[in-house]
Amino acid sequence: MIGSKTKELLKKIVGRERLLDQPAELLSYSYDAYHEEAMPDLVLFPETCEEVSGIMKICSADKIPVTARGAGTSVCGASIPAKHGIVLCFSKMNKIVEINTKDRYVIVEPGVINIDIQKALEPFGFFYPPDPGSMNVSTIGGNVAQNAGGPRCLKYGVTVDYILGMQVVLASGKIVNFGSTNVKDVTGYRLSSLFCGSEGTLGLVTRIILRVVPVPETIKTILVTFDDLDNTAKSVSDIIGAGILPVAMELLDRATINAIEDSARLGLPREAEGSLVIEIDGVKEACEKEIKKIYKKLEANNAVSIQEAKTPKEREKLWTARRSAYGVFAKLAPDLLSEDVTVPVSKVPAMIRKTVEITKKYGLKVGILAHAGDGNMHPMIPADRNNIEQWENVEKALVEIVQAAIDLNGTLSGEHGIGLAKTRFLPLVMSKDDIEFMSVIKKAVDPDGILNPGKFV
Amino acid sequence: MKSSTLQNCSKCGLCLSVCPTYKVALLEHASPRARLQLIKYYENSELISSSGLKEIISKCLMCGACAAICPSGINHYSKFMEMRTKMAEDHGEKIAIKSLVYLLSSEFRIRFAAGFAKLGQRITPQIIFEKYDLGNIPLKRFPKLNKKPFRQAVAETSRSEAGEPEKGNRGNVLYFTGCATNYLFDKTGFATVNILKSMGYKVIIPEKQTCCGIPMLFHGAKDKAKKNILTNIKCLNPDSFNQDTVKAIIVDCPTCGSALKNEYPALQDDFSPETAEAASKISSKVIDIMSFILQESDSTNLAQSLENLKSDNLKHDSRVNQTNPENIEPQKIKVTYHLPCHLKNSLQSPGNSETILKNMPRLDYIRAVDADECCGGGGTFFYEYPEISKKMVKVKIINAKKTGARIWLTDCPVCRINLSGNLKESDKLTVKHPVEMIQL
Ligand SMILES: Cc1cc2nc3c(=O)[nH]c(=O)nc-3n(C[C@H](O)[C@H](O)[C@H](O)COP(=O)(O)OP(=O)(O)OC[C@H]3O[C@@H](n4cnc5c(N)ncnc54)[C@H](O)[C@@H]3O)c2cc1C
Ligand code: SF4
Ligand code: SF4
Repeated sequence: MIGSKTKELLKKIVGRERLLDQPAELLSYSYDAYHEEAMPDLVLFPETCEEVSGIMKICSADKIPVTARGAGTSVCGASIPAKHGIVLCFSKMNKIVEINTKDRYVIVEPGVINIDIQKALEPFGFFYPPDPGSMNVSTIGGNVAQNAGGPRCLKYGVTVDYILGMQVVLASGKIVNFGSTNVKDVTGYRLSSLFCGSEGTLGLVTRIILRVVPVPETIKTILVTFDDLDNTAKSVSDIIGAGILPVAMELLDRATINAIEDSARLGLPREAEGSLVIEIDGVKEACEKEIKKIYKKLEANNAVSIQEAKTPKEREKLWTARRSAYGVFAKLAPDLLSEDVTVPVSKVPAMIRKTVEITKKYGLKVGILAHAGDGNMHPMIPADRNNIEQWENVEKALVEIVQAAIDLNGTLSGEHGIGLAKTRFLPLVMSKDDIEFMSVIKKAVDPDGILNPGKFV
Repeated sequence: MKSSTLQNCSKCGLCLSVCPTYKVALLEHASPRARLQLIKYYENSELISSSGLKEIISKCLMCGACAAICPSGINHYSKFMEMRTKMAEDHGEKIAIKSLVYLLSSEFRIRFAAGFAKLGQRITPQIIFEKYDLGNIPLKRFPKLNKKPFRQAVAETSRSEAGEPEKGNRGNVLYFTGCATNYLFDKTGFATVNILKSMGYKVIIPEKQTCCGIPMLFHGAKDKAKKNILTNIKCLNPDSFNQDTVKAIIVDCPTCGSALKNEYPALQDDFSPETAEAASKISSKVIDIMSFILQESDSTNLAQSLENLKSDNLKHDSRVNQTNPENIEPQKIKVTYHLPCHLKNSLQSPGNSETILKNMPRLDYIRAVDADECCGGGGTFFYEYPEISKKMVKVKIINAKKTGARIWLTDCPVCRINLSGNLKESDKLTVKHPVEMIQL
């Protein structure tokens, strides 16, 4: 609990209207897109770095837990205040400070929504590549803290690859800055990489310098179908293996295609066992060359059909099909589990086989969806949480899917993060020493453990 | 009470990206996700009822954007409406809202309160004011009352049913006028009838029709709404017009449209089997006037089809010609458009009005950058929460003005009152229903 004196001090910093303490309001900050919940004692909305610093000085003196929050779309429970205390919500600290496409960077505050950065860059012919499925709602602060990725990260890389610098408020309230607006900068440790992906356990990010890139001249998008899922997955590893790097290579299996067709009738071939949405971009001539190479690899793997989007509208249709998959599966049952294990791309066929086998064993439905080009699997399991027996089977299947990924040299999560969801699996991929090293770092920056306590460190 | 759908909210948060109240407030408890969670906590007795909870539930525009985007297919409307009923039971309603609900539940009471016979159109009757008033729309920016209720006026001009078709006979259409056209915007009504006639339809305006019931449903007065709903189902039932089939049920107001299309059938558990069947028949025939025009036009030559609907003289309101200098000018009229939420989210026919405006040879349509953003009108939202509403409408006005248009078109009467109510004389913008441009 937070004493009334402390509360008064905090109120002085943010003002009455940026402090929440009513039960219904607090309950609204007890959850994110994961299924666990925990109540905060207070929610504060800072608008400046100085306010954040002031809040942290008070909290570190009183050892009050502080959990940062952007839009609360974390699917691993990273933004749930597991040990109560304060939720520090950055939604109102949302200014785009500078757009400089000449020097190829933007400076933003953490509450800016990913899509708003894209919109702001559009007139300049630039974009910011990381495109998580939640980009219309998730904040850049949350993206940074989770090192978010998305379909086009296959070619362009994930959030961490775009951070040039940042400003961070430490647990003590101290304000530190790393990096600069220079695209090349090797001055000191690359600490921005440490804070990126730390899920709010090391510091509070209050300003970010992001690298941005010009919109490519040409984009080509194709939809390919196969009558065999192995061939589908093998095409992916063959294309990557041939040194071609598409923007995105998204895989959908038969169950997924049929579920999409049932609800949306986009004219996808229902009999296809597997299909791929492949996109490439770049200079026109290079694209032409590359697409020919891709066609060759696809034909070698007995592709049944290849459909190329001729207009932006057709391209949109192919992506709509891909994007609608999640929603279609979400409607098949009251709840949906969307997994995130990742394996080396050559192991994608094996991982798919394993996943289908495991879910079958437990009598569960599964739709396979994957950012296949980087081996990031998103199997979707529709089920009913209130059906205790079924949900137990989901839990068991989950454990086996994780183990299967690790057996294939894979890892726990490609982009969704660890948070509350996967902490128990950490020892499967990290040694005791590895985990201890993270604790050493955590203790050095946050000796009292007040930043997002109860999570993976 | 059991929730109205089996689907669980996965808390994915995607609905935050489209919710107008979240986007303005940037507070989770102003979001659809929070409203659903709080309803769940309340139903599980983990959260007690309070006036604070009631406020969170009712600070919602019922615009339907959340339901339209939700991947899990949650029916937010039903959930919110059920909860509004409970909250109204627990904490009562503001007096003004209560009397509004009381009045709207009977056509007779509306007429009586409006006092058409005596007052004429200079005084805006309390009832209309309460139904549509934006807490801070100045009285003089409020639309004037029709001289006579539209349904009465149109019946008198044609002496019988509203109108025989002008050319050919393509069948019957029913016209559900809604309160706004009936009491405030008769030009919209006359334009609608004339266009339908020149398309070759016989227009039947069922006499017994009454307020669609949405305002009552939104304020948790389901029992009162039910009476209206039953009356409307009875008089709109396509099967009761046995001589000819009813081709369509036309609405000019998207909110009435979404009531007839979605809310009536959603209440089927409360109805007798026959009523439920009639409701679903009505639902399948409901279409907004602009979509109907588009649907019936020659898609290969839309411009000409639309020109054909132009009438040489406006039969029912010759004033339009004199007061609208744009009419005399041969050059194109610059117009812009606001897409009402209920058209976008509930009738799922967004873009049809814009398509028509784009293709009308006499118009120069310039899209505002935020043409499809909510204006903050939302039923009586603007009346109850003027501070949020005001913020939203201000931005809309700035962007509409940037287009350089003099005429701002929108299909929804509440949007229309909200937008025009917040305009200043110096903004030089007039708000109209798009149907009024077709016969100019
Ligand atoms: C439908 C859906 C699709 C998704 N698709 C993807 C996807 O394609 N790729 C992907 O990577 N993820 C995806 N996600 C997961 C999620 O959207 C991302 O992790 C996102 O980056 C979270 O952003 P947020 O603003 O919602 O942060 P929150 O969920 O609020 O917080 C996430 C973490 O960031 C911390 N944090 C937030 N702001 C700060 C700050 N200023 N300083 C320090 N720490 C901070 C929080 O403490 C928490 O640990 C998806 C989620 C959903 C629901
Ligand atoms: S979009 Fe649907 S499932 Fe997602 S949070 Fe909103 S209501 Fe829940
Ligand atoms: S109906 Fe509109 S205002 Fe209400 S929660 Fe849904 S999106 Fe928000």
